[in-house]
Amino acid sequence: MIRHHPDNNLLLEYAAGSLARGPSLVVAAHIQMCADCRSHYHSLNCLGGSLLNQSPAQPLKSKAFECLIARIDQTQEKITDLEKPARQPDLSIKQVPAMEHLPKVLNKLLEKNPSSKWRKASRNLEVCRVRTGQREYEVAFHRLRRGAKLPEHDHRGPEFAVVLNGSFSDHNGIYGPGDFVYREPGQIHRPIATQDQDCLCFSAVAAPVAITGISGLLLNRLIPFRPG
Amino acid sequence: MAQIQKLNSNGIAVRATQDCADDWSTLLTRVGTQRDRQAFERVFRHFAPLIKGFHHSRSTQALNTEAADELVQEVMLKVWHKAPSFDQSKASASTWIYTIMRNCRIDMLRRNQRHRHREGDIDVADIWDEALENQPLLFLQHKRNERDIADGLSALPAEQSHILEKAYMEGKSHSEISQELRLPLGTVKSRVRLAMKKLQARFVR
Repeated sequence: MIRHHPDNNLLLEYAAGSLARGPSLVVAAHIQMCADCRSHYHSLNCLGGSLLNQSPAQPLKSKAFECLIARIDQTQEKITDLEKPARQPDLSIKQVPAMEHLPKVLNKLLEKNPSSKWRKASRNLEVCRVRTGQREYEVAFHRLRRGAKLPEHDHRGPEFAVVLNGSFSDHNGIYGPGDFVYREPGQIHRPIATQDQDCLCFSAVAAPVAITGISGLLLNRLIPFRPG
Repeated sequence: MAQIQKLNSNGIAVRATQDCADDWSTLLTRVGTQRDRQAFERVFRHFAPLIKGFHHSRSTQALNTEAADELVQEVMLKVWHKAPSFDQSKASASTWIYTIMRNCRIDMLRRNQRHRHREGDIDVADIWDEALENQPLLFLQHKRNERDIADGLSALPAEQSHILEKAYMEGKSHSEISQELRLPLGTVKSRVRLAMKKLQARFVR
C-alpha cells in the first residue's frame, strides 16, 4: 500500500504544467503507480478544464480556421509516419530484474538513454544517471543493496524520489514501492534498505548532495553532481 | 454556457434549451470517429477563442497575442489529430483539450529556450501522459463533477482563485507566484491548500 504521496501543491504545479521537468518525471512515475493520485490529478485537470471554460473568449487572427485546415491537409501524411511504434532498444541497465516492471514514463525515459549504465558509487550503492533534456536537476536511478545503510547526508536543494522496488527507512518512516519522497534542503537523513531485497529508487535532486561525516566525503567524490 | 444546435434522431436540428456543455464531448467524439470537419469547425469556433483568452486577455498576459495565436493553431492541430483517442467516458471535451493545451504550452516554452538540452529529451506527452488507464467516470458524473468544480471556483475568495489562475494560466510555480505577488511562499502554498480543500469536497475521487 502506498503511504507517501506528493502534496496538493506539488500535484497542482504538475497538473498546471509549471513544475520543472526533473520533479515532473518523479511525480509522473508516482502517479502511474498510485491510483489515488491519478484520480486526484484527473480532478486537477478538470479544474484546468473549468478555467478554460471560464476564460474570456478572445477574437482570433483572421482566417485562423482556414489556416489550420490548410495545415491539416499538409500534415495528414506525416502523422501516419509518426505513429509507427518506436524500436525497443536493448538496454543493459534493464538487466536488473527490478527494472523489468517500471512505470511507462521511466521506460520511455530509458529509451532516450540507450547508453546509460549502472555505476558503482560505493560498496552498497549503484547509480544510473539519465539525461532528461534539462540541467537543473540531476536525475538518476539508485540501487541500494539489501540491508545497506547510506551515509547520513543532506541536500543543498530539494530532492524528489519514488521507490520503485524494495523499501528503505529513515527517521521519517518506511518507504515502499510507489511511495513518494520529498526532502527539503537541510533535512539530513540516513536511508537504510530493508533486509529482504535491494531497494530501487528514481530521483531528481536540484543541487549537489552534501554528505555529512567522514564516509560522506568519499561518497561525495564518487557521485559528483552532473545534472542533465 | 454554450448554446449549440442539437440533432434529434431524425437528424433535424433542435434548439438545446439548457446547459449543454457536454455536447462538446459528443461533437469531439464525432470528430474522432467520423473525421467530421463540420463538427471540428464547431469545436474550433468554440474552444479556439477560449484557448487564446486563457493565455492572452485583459486579465492574463501570459503570452503576447502572436504567441497566443500560434499556440491556438498548435493545440487545435493536435486536437484534430488526437481526436480518435478521445474517450468521453474518461474526460470531458474541455478537460481533454486543457491537457493538450498545457502540453503544447510546455513544448512551446521549451522550444523557445535559448539553452535547450536535447540529450534524453523525452516527449512532453510521455511525462504528462493522459492515455493511462484510469477509472472511467460515468458520463453524467463528469458533467456534474465539472459543473461542481466550476461553481466551487467562482465561490472561492479572490485571493485564492487569483493564485490558481496564476498557476494554471500563466504556468507559474508557487515560488514564482510568491516573488511576483511579494507574498511569503508559505502564504501562497496555504492559499492553494485552502482553495483545494474547498474544491476537494466537490471532486469525484
